[in-house]
Amino acid sequence: MQPLLSVRNLTLTYPNGYQALKGISFDVMPGEFLVIIGLSGSGKSTLLRCLNRLLEPTTGSITFNDRDITHIQGEALREHRARIGMIFQHFNLIPRHSVIKNVLYGALGATPTLNAMLGRFSDDAQRRAQEALQVVGIPEKAEIRADSLSGGQQQRVAIARALMQQPQLLLADEPVASLDPSTSHSVMSYLERINKEMNTTVICNLHFLSLVRQYATRVIALKNGEMVFQGSPHDITDEWFATIYGEDAVEVEIR
Amino acid sequence: MKRLLAIIIDGLLGASVGALIERVIVPALLDTSGAADTSYALLASGLGAAIYIIAGLAAKSSIGGVSLGIDTPEGRSLRTVSHLGWLTLSVFIVGGWIITAISPIEFFSGDGLAGAGRIFQALITPEFDIIGEAVSAMIVTIFTAFMATVVAVPISFLLSFPAARNVMSETPLTKTIYVILRVILNIMRSMEPIIWAIIFSVWVGIGPFAGMLALVVHTVASLTKQYSEQIEDVNSGPIEAISATGASRIQVLWFAIVPQCVIPFLSFTIYRWDINVRMATIIGFVGGGGIGTLLTQYQGVAKYNEVGTLVILITAVVWILDVVSARVREALR
Ligand SMILES: Nc1ncnc2c1ncn2[C@@H]1O[C@H](COP(=O)(O)OP(=O)(O)OP(=O)(O)O)[C@@H](O)[C@H]1O
Ligand SMILES: [Mg+2]
Repeated sequence: MQPLLSVRNLTLTYPNGYQALKGISFDVMPGEFLVIIGLSGSGKSTLLRCLNRLLEPTTGSITFNDRDITHIQGEALREHRARIGMIFQHFNLIPRHSVIKNVLYGALGATPTLNAMLGRFSDDAQRRAQEALQVVGIPEKAEIRADSLSGGQQQRVAIARALMQQPQLLLADEPVASLDPSTSHSVMSYLERINKEMNTTVICNLHFLSLVRQYATRVIALKNGEMVFQGSPHDITDEWFATIYGEDAVEVEIR
Repeated sequence: MKRLLAIIIDGLLGASVGALIERVIVPALLDTSGAADTSYALLASGLGAAIYIIAGLAAKSSIGGVSLGIDTPEGRSLRTVSHLGWLTLSVFIVGGWIITAISPIEFFSGDGLAGAGRIFQALITPEFDIIGEAVSAMIVTIFTAFMATVVAVPISFLLSFPAARNVMSETPLTKTIYVILRVILNIMRSMEPIIWAIIFSVWVGIGPFAGMLALVVHTVASLTKQYSEQIEDVNSGPIEAISATGASRIQVLWFAIVPQCVIPFLSFTIYRWDINVRMATIIGFVGGGGIGTLLTQYQGVAKYNEVGTLVILITAVVWILDVVSARVREALR
């Protein structure tokens, strides 16, 4: 089987000279639930933002669907981004706008600029927005202001927005880091369903190993911008844990 | 870089102190108001500048450094800085007193007081016969300000994006456009509306149109700055999220940035209209039409009872607008 995504010798140096990624290589197969772990500052967010090209890598290459997307620009870049959904730690909804509008914004990549600005989304988009809200279990909230929802509900709206893109790949940057444990599991289980039922590949940054063991099919660990581990979540022994998180770290559970 | 600026500040302060002493204070003391040789003034300024700069360097901290926040003087250097500070302040006060010709004798002279009494008398017995004329002039002023705001808002809105650093930081070209735009706006803003009014009253003739144009220029410059600072302040999360959907640049501006700005933009705009009504009054003095022009006409022929009516009307309108605009802005929070 062809990998969906191939990353080769990827480096990224920020404009201030800080090298956040130092030669990362890995493949992602279609249908995987890949989790990236690592200490704060190890480069997880930076790596994720290279994949949908919110950031442009300095050297190395990224191949998606057999296409080199490392340095694409303009229309090609927008098409690439539109194929990949992304959710964030702080949800990043448009606060004063309604839930349904926020979901519709997932269709911006497929909507002509002027039509979108006039609020004219296609009938198909409108219908799919309603469906996406059904999938995440909050169809009754459609007309409510996004910022009046709880954190867990906001993250579900963000997932619905990503679903609007009918993505091949879903990126999640610490999607549960600002949620309580039970809400975390609810959000993670939506990601799992999307992965299993819609066959969407997921790449997710996580902090808690208990969540990693439960949801990941494969794990990559970063440390100081380098990849220090790659394998099954069950292969993360105490020694690996100490290597990834430092000698003094103690594992915290989230149930 | 900041150090250089501090030295320039010190030099300018020293030069002004030297020049004030040589040009103003010494002649006043000696009572010789003749035109002295310019070379003495230059010498005095140079000497002043040199003393300030050298004292600053020797003490390792100076007034310029402190005012830029790069020096924190202690002990001996604190004494040097504070001595120089007091010297500067006293020379400025004494020099300023002489320059503005402050004269307690005139202030309290019998003739003067009687004149002032007559004007105050007239002002508090306003001539209400002209109230019709006054109100229509006031309406002209209010609408001059209103139209200036209405015209300026869309222009400022469009300009505020290229004037925002976070929007323009992508390529060297956009950065250059940003810098040029900021410089032009700063120059436009530092020219007082009254100067623009003089220019436009020659251009399009005396009247409300000249006043409106003058206000438009100043309002565009001020609002663009306020709007763009608000844009620079937006949360970058929604920008990332909307970009990640494959949205175009314009869509990102419209869906991620604008929603975060509308409320503050509205608030700035209402406040600007409020300011513009006051400015429209002043601009009327130099040919901008409305109540300001009417006021100069009555004042020119010494009809102080009529002037009194106008002053009361202006005060009332400005006060009401101030209260209303504060209320609305409060409600918008
Ligand atoms: N715009 C930037 N400019 C310069 N350095 C940056 C920038 N963004 C991130 N960095 C640095 O790059 C490194 C990696 O950051 P990144 O956000 O990818 O880490 P992370 O693994 O996601 O951490 P966290 O768990 O805290 O989210 C950090 O040291 C960070 O300080
Ligand atoms: Mg991060």
